Amino acid sequence: MEDEPVIRSATLDAPLSLGRPGAAREERVDRERALDRFLAGIERRAYRVACLALRDRAEAEDAVQDAMIRLVGHYALRPEDQWRPLFYRILRNRITDLQRRAGIRRAVMAFWSGGARDESAPDPIEDVADARGRPDEVIEGEELLARIEAVLATLSRRQREAFLFRNFEGLDVAQAAIAMGCSEGSVKTHYFRAMQALQGALGEWQA
Amino acid sequence: MNEEEMRELERKSRAAFDASVEAGDAATRSRLARARATALTELRHRGLGRATPWLPAGAAAAALVAAFLWQREEAVEPMTQGPVAYEDLDIVAGGEDFDLLGEDADFVAWAAEQALDGVG
Repeated sequence: MEDEPVIRSATLDAPLSLGRPGAAREERVDRERALDRFLAGIERRAYRVACLALRDRAEAEDAVQDAMIRLVGHYALRPEDQWRPLFYRILRNRITDLQRRAGIRRAVMAFWSGGARDESAPDPIEDVADARGRPDEVIEGEELLARIEAVLATLSRRQREAFLFRNFEGLDVAQAAIAMGCSEGSVKTHYFRAMQALQGALGEWQA
Repeated sequence: MNEEEMRELERKSRAAFDASVEAGDAATRSRLARARATALTELRHRGLGRATPWLPAGAAAAALVAAFLWQREEAVEPMTQGPVAYEDLDIVAGGEDFDLLGEDADFVAWAAEQALDGVG
């Protein structure tokens, strides 16, 4: 005989438990624990992605915190398997907002300084930590990441997002499409172009 | 770029990224943990709040539609009422309760572009 299917609510991942005394509180505690686990597992990677996109650690921390608050505030009731793409969707929007503001700030500064080059912009390759006393593969990895960061800065926003979400965060095509707010075909196209650009820029260095 | 080169670049870049995540400093980890605690405290204060964020917006939108329909009945020349109603809609749509819609704005713009491409 086949197992009887468990009836689940439309919005919760857990079976319905309404009507029992204390059920609402238990449900909230369960959700809180699940969200804590989810965020603890994702926060450091999300922060690194935000750093690569924004190239500013303080802004990256703010963006991740905002994304956490919005996910918890608006999507706590969604099934857990939706949290990851939703979290990155929110984070992406925060990053885009911050980039736009930074662009306006730079434009205003350039206008008032007569178009002088922004000397405060970080050079990711110069930022690579002092190599002395560390294993070769670690140094090579840091240098590769710094070069990738420099190439990512030259890509279109969509290409950069496709690479960060697909490669660094390991989202599948469907999840990346939700995070980027576009079609799966668009994700594939942008990701392939980003990989082409990286291969072109890093090919000689890798050889 | 062939498939093998692409896989190799993917593998190397992901490994470099993973290593950089693991190498994160303690102060940053601590700040991220505090940020997480702050977010979860919000949940404790607000509860799970099923669907309530949409209620004020829904009520405002319903009231606006009712007012619009009532004005149309009263008006001698209904066409003059249109622009006023659209302006009101803009004001409501600009409110905080509609910020979820903002997360989909890019997607809506993209979908609109796709639709136009299909026509052209």
